[in-house]
Amino acid sequence: MSRPTVTIYGADGSATQDSHPLPNVFKAPIRPDIVQTVHTGMAKNKRQPYAVSEKAGHQTSAESWGTGRAVARIPRVSGGGTHRAGQAAFGNQCRSGRMFAPTKVWRKWHQKINLGQKRFATASAIAASSSAALLMARGHRVTSVPEVPLVVSSTAFTGAAVKKTAAAVALLNSVGAGQDVDKVKNSRKIRAGKGKLRGRRHQQRRGPLVVYEPEKDGKELVKAFRNIPGVETCPVFALNLLQLAPGGHLGRFVVWTSSAFAALDTVYGSSTEPSQLKKDFLLPQNTVAQPDIAKLINSSEVQSVLRPVKGGAISKRGVVQKKNPLRNRQVLLRLNPYAAAYSKNGLGHLSLDEGKPKPKEGLFINALHDN
Amino acid sequence: MATSYDNISPDLVWECCRNQNAFLCKRKQAGGVQFSRDPLNLVNKHSRKYAGFVNDTAIGIQRDDNTVKLITKLQKRKNQPAKMYHESSFSASTPSRKVYKSVVNSTAKKGYRADLRAEAVARASAVKLSQRERKEKARPVKLRGAKARKAAEASS
Repeated sequence: MSRPTVTIYGADGSATQDSHPLPNVFKAPIRPDIVQTVHTGMAKNKRQPYAVSEKAGHQTSAESWGTGRAVARIPRVSGGGTHRAGQAAFGNQCRSGRMFAPTKVWRKWHQKINLGQKRFATASAIAASSSAALLMARGHRVTSVPEVPLVVSSTAFTGAAVKKTAAAVALLNSVGAGQDVDKVKNSRKIRAGKGKLRGRRHQQRRGPLVVYEPEKDGKELVKAFRNIPGVETCPVFALNLLQLAPGGHLGRFVVWTSSAFAALDTVYGSSTEPSQLKKDFLLPQNTVAQPDIAKLINSSEVQSVLRPVKGGAISKRGVVQKKNPLRNRQVLLRLNPYAAAYSKNGLGHLSLDEGKPKPKEGLFINALHDN
Repeated sequence: MATSYDNISPDLVWECCRNQNAFLCKRKQAGGVQFSRDPLNLVNKHSRKYAGFVNDTAIGIQRDDNTVKLITKLQKRKNQPAKMYHESSFSASTPSRKVYKSVVNSTAKKGYRADLRAEAVARASAVKLSQRERKEKARPVKLRGAKARKAAEASS
C-alpha cells in the first residue's frame, strides 16, 4: 500500500502541486489515557514552591496553664494588660494560631515521567492532530481549513517573509485558520478567583499551533506570531505535549510548515527504523491493527468462526403475548394441524345435518314394561 | 487522495471524546442529562449513534432563514473540513410533506444512514412547525369568576 499523501498549501491558501507523504508518526496509536497521565505529570513541572512562613502562629511566648483552672490545657498567651493575654495560641484550632500541617517549600513539586512514556504521548498527540473529528471535539473552528494535517509551504516563510504580525495574520486567514483565531479573541474573559491577583488575569482558549523548522524557516516567524491571541509556535525538534494536547485533551489544531512536516520522519523515525534524533526510539505500534469495530465484527475471519444463527428467520420468539388457540386460528393450526381438515369437511356438525335423532324402536318403553 | 492512515476510526474517536468534548452539554438536573450542540446531531442527544462529528456519515437538519437546510457529511472528505459537508436548502414554499420526502430520498433511501430516517423527518417537521406563522385567536377568551366580575364592574 502506498503511503497516504498530504497536499501542501501555498501562502495564499491555494493547494500547490506539491504533496508530501504522511510521516510515520501519524500512524502512532492514539491513547488518551497515556496522554492524560503524562500531561498531568508534565503540567506539574513548572510549579514554583510556596509555603506559609515558618514562624507564622508561633510568634508568642504562650505556655499552658496546666490543669486546675477550669480552662483547656492549650498554651495561653502570658502577661496581662491586653485582650490577647490569656487567649489560646499555637494550635491549628486557635484564632491566629498556626495552620494545620504548615505547607513547606520542600514539598515534592515536580514529577518524573518516564522518557518512553513522554515520547509515546507526544507521538500519540501528533497522530491525533490529523483527525478533523478530534479537532472539532477539542473545540477548534476548522470548518474553513482545506485539509488536516494542514501543511503550509515553507516558501511562504523564506527570507523572513513572515516577520511582521500583519503578515502572520494574513497567512493564517488565507489558510483557513482565521476562524480559530477569532474564536480565541472572543473567548478572552477575566479569570474567576485569586489568580487575577497573581499574574493570571485573563483566560482564553488556545488557537492554532504553528510548528516550524528553525533552520529552514528561520526564527523570525516566532516574533510575528507571538502577539496573535491563542497562537503558539514551536520548533519541530522540541514539540511539547503541553502544547500538542492542552489540558490532556487530544486534537490540537497544528499548522505545519512543509519543512517541519518533512522533518517529522527524521525526528520520530518509524516503527522499524529508529529515530535519528531520539536515542533508542522506535515509534509505538497499535496493538489492534483495525480500529473500526464494525469492520472487525463483520470481517470474514470473525464471521467464519461464529456459530450460525439458530433457527434463522423462523427462530423461536422469546417472551411474547400468549395467544388463545380457540380464538386465533393460526395458533390453533400450529397446535393442531388436523383442525384444517376437520373444519373443511364439516366434521364438527355432521350430526347436525342428520336432523332430529330418531327414537330407538321401542327399546325404552319395553325396558320400562319389563319391570 | 488519502490523507490519513487507517489508525483512526469513528469508534476510536468516540472513545476518546465521549467523556468530554466541545459539543457536549452536561447538566446535573434530571439525573445528569447529556445533550449535544453538534449541528449534525438530529436529536441533540450525546450518544454514539447521533454524534455527527464522530461518524463518517451524518445528517444534520437546521433552520436556514425561513426554511430548512439539510446537511450531510461526505465520507471521502473526512480530512478536508472545508469541503466535508454537502448543504442544500429547501425553498420556503416547499410543502412539509415534500420536504420530508426529499430528506428521506436524498439520505435514507440512498443507503445513507437509514437508521436516522425517522429522526431526520421528525427534525425537519419540528423546524417547519417552528417557522409556521401563528394564527390569531379567532374569538376573545371568555372571562370567568373574579376576573369576569371585575370586567363587568369596569364596563358598567
